[in-house]
Amino acid sequence: MNKQYDAIIIGAGVIGCPIAYELAKMGYKTLNIDKLAGAGAGSTAASCAIVRAHYSTEDGVAMAYEGFKYWLDWENYLGNVKDEKGLAKYMNTGSLLIKSQGHDWRKVKKNYDAVGVKYEEWSVEKIKEMIPVYELDEHWPVKRPEDPAFFDPPTKTLEGGIFCPEGGYVNDPELSSHNIQRAAEAHGAEFLFNAEVVEIHSQEGRVVGVTLKDGTRIDAPVIVNAAGPHSFKINQMLPAVWEGCNIKTKALRHEVMHCPSPEGYDYFNEGYHTSDGDIGCYYRPEVGNMFLVGSEDPECDPQVWPDPDDFYAGKGGPGENNQLTESQWKAQCYRLALRVPTLRVPNQPRGVVDLYDCSDDWIPIYDKSDVKGFYLAIGTSGNQYKNAPVVGIMMAELIDACEKGLDHDAQPYQFTLPHLGRTFDTGFFSRKREINYDSSFSVNG
Amino acid sequence: MKIYVCVKSVPDSAATIRIVGRNQFDEHITFIINPYDEHAIEEAMRLRATNEKAEVIAVCVGRAEAAGSLQSALAMGADRGIHVTTDDAVDSFITALALKAAILADGQPDIIFTGKQSIDAEGFQTMFRLGAVLGVPVATNVTAFALQDGIATVDCEMEAGGRAVFRMPLPCIIAAGKALNNPRYPTLPDIMKARKKPIQTLALASLDLPTPSAGMEVIGLRPAVEDRRRHIIAGTGEQAVAELIRLLREEARVL
Repeated sequence: MNKQYDAIIIGAGVIGCPIAYELAKMGYKTLNIDKLAGAGAGSTAASCAIVRAHYSTEDGVAMAYEGFKYWLDWENYLGNVKDEKGLAKYMNTGSLLIKSQGHDWRKVKKNYDAVGVKYEEWSVEKIKEMIPVYELDEHWPVKRPEDPAFFDPPTKTLEGGIFCPEGGYVNDPELSSHNIQRAAEAHGAEFLFNAEVVEIHSQEGRVVGVTLKDGTRIDAPVIVNAAGPHSFKINQMLPAVWEGCNIKTKALRHEVMHCPSPEGYDYFNEGYHTSDGDIGCYYRPEVGNMFLVGSEDPECDPQVWPDPDDFYAGKGGPGENNQLTESQWKAQCYRLALRVPTLRVPNQPRGVVDLYDCSDDWIPIYDKSDVKGFYLAIGTSGNQYKNAPVVGIMMAELIDACEKGLDHDAQPYQFTLPHLGRTFDTGFFSRKREINYDSSFSVNG
Repeated sequence: MKIYVCVKSVPDSAATIRIVGRNQFDEHITFIINPYDEHAIEEAMRLRATNEKAEVIAVCVGRAEAAGSLQSALAMGADRGIHVTTDDAVDSFITALALKAAILADGQPDIIFTGKQSIDAEGFQTMFRLGAVLGVPVATNVTAFALQDGIATVDCEMEAGGRAVFRMPLPCIIAAGKALNNPRYPTLPDIMKARKKPIQTLALASLDLPTPSAGMEVIGLRPAVEDRRRHIIAGTGEQAVAELIRLLREEARVL
């Protein structure tokens, strides 16, 4: 007889693990299946794991701010579980959003007020006092160093920034997933690694189980797609699921770089996560007194959509494979150097290349699907790490409600954020939605 | 004082090398300045800082794309560059002759810095061949350098942690080891300034080099087989540490 579970979760990254944790707490017998060797070993491991509240929508801000509460109280969130690898650490540096033409910061401020996010407005002088290495000239629009105008001297100064003291980043995203795995296991959840789902079975419009690459069949009436950059491949295994999604997902290549902090400046201990639309970059401290700098996906940066299996196998040429490119290295480091002119730029590129599981409007899909029992926690678009603990609770409640008969498409599940007490319509994340033009269409969400 | 620094453009050590045909590899990868040459430039910059009239000239033999590595040298502070261009893969005999010709056409060197090796070919030859054709002494894997009254005093790291001290009259060649210094990384203003510094380009064919006494050719390239063996050390923490130190000393020989 095939092994039986109440729910199979495909993927054991930072989204799949908390869904298992919350379902297990509700009494579901869960199994996470991951093709890699450990929790969070895929694209989660390469996440910058930034915890910030600025999103382009009010619900986005609320969800992110709710997420803060879990990172700030990590041990309690995990039920004080023991993890032999130790616990991930929340580095509560504070988060600075530079006021620029690259962000609709007025809308962010309005959303902060509506949700009750703690923040301070910093003048240019205040930013200079807090972060003496920043120069606050305006460089908009975002350019690449190949553009001769890139080096034009600036003529204007920025307006300041919005500082959110509770923001920061998690020092080890892979470990944080492992922590959640251990917390889930304490409630009976099981995890199967080095196992790849190759087929999803359905009968009479309802999922019944999966087959693994080695031929093993495992049955469950609930299956959750939390496969990260492979999410579209999993959806395509069930044509009705794929066709039923108005919003699709695909894998987007993304590079992040390491640059040493300016001589004499302790960015690791004194710096802040900064979101800087004026230069199209976000940056945060990293071990070794480094700046970790990523692109906020301005129009001038190329977008490459590789096949995730080819990408992880290192196939494809420069700009398509899993190696840093010199042009993007220069683009991100030089842009950061416009803000931090004393930044040191090594001759050898250093950093990480991985994939986003990107949706058409850069807003995730947290939803049921057109096949009963099959659920979607996909399209995280590089901006959902911080939300993972909240997503776990929301997905578990949504799944449980649907399994108990809720017609979620007709009457979307109303989710109450446990800490903020604010209720919102999870239809916001529907697979059936039209493209949400309030989105930033970038990692900013 | 004329300080020359020889730099080579090499594949990024993080790049995946794909062998093409018998003896070539796919060059659609990132090339960087040879990391040991960064130590050479750093030492040259430190020497220049002690001598107002000193000039640092970076010299490179390689394809047109190698100009990027010369730009790196200029961004690190070199005053100007000389690029001997060739599309051919050149061995250390020809490279040494080309460097000599390019340097002597430019001026009389007081001192020449190089890296102790390139991270791609790892031939460990070019600086010695350059010393031979110029008739000057060479010290390699240099970890300390001082110059007084026209005499260079250098510490060289030897096998198994030994150290040799040499005194050499100028001109001489100093091949920098990793422990010599911490190379400075350029800032964006340095990189922008470097774009305006002159690079003289000389075609290798135009240098009228003598026929080298011998030559070397790579007849085959094969991928390295990585032989990583897992070694599980059992016992208490104390025993395990003692065993780990023994393995590092006796088997890995890194201590």
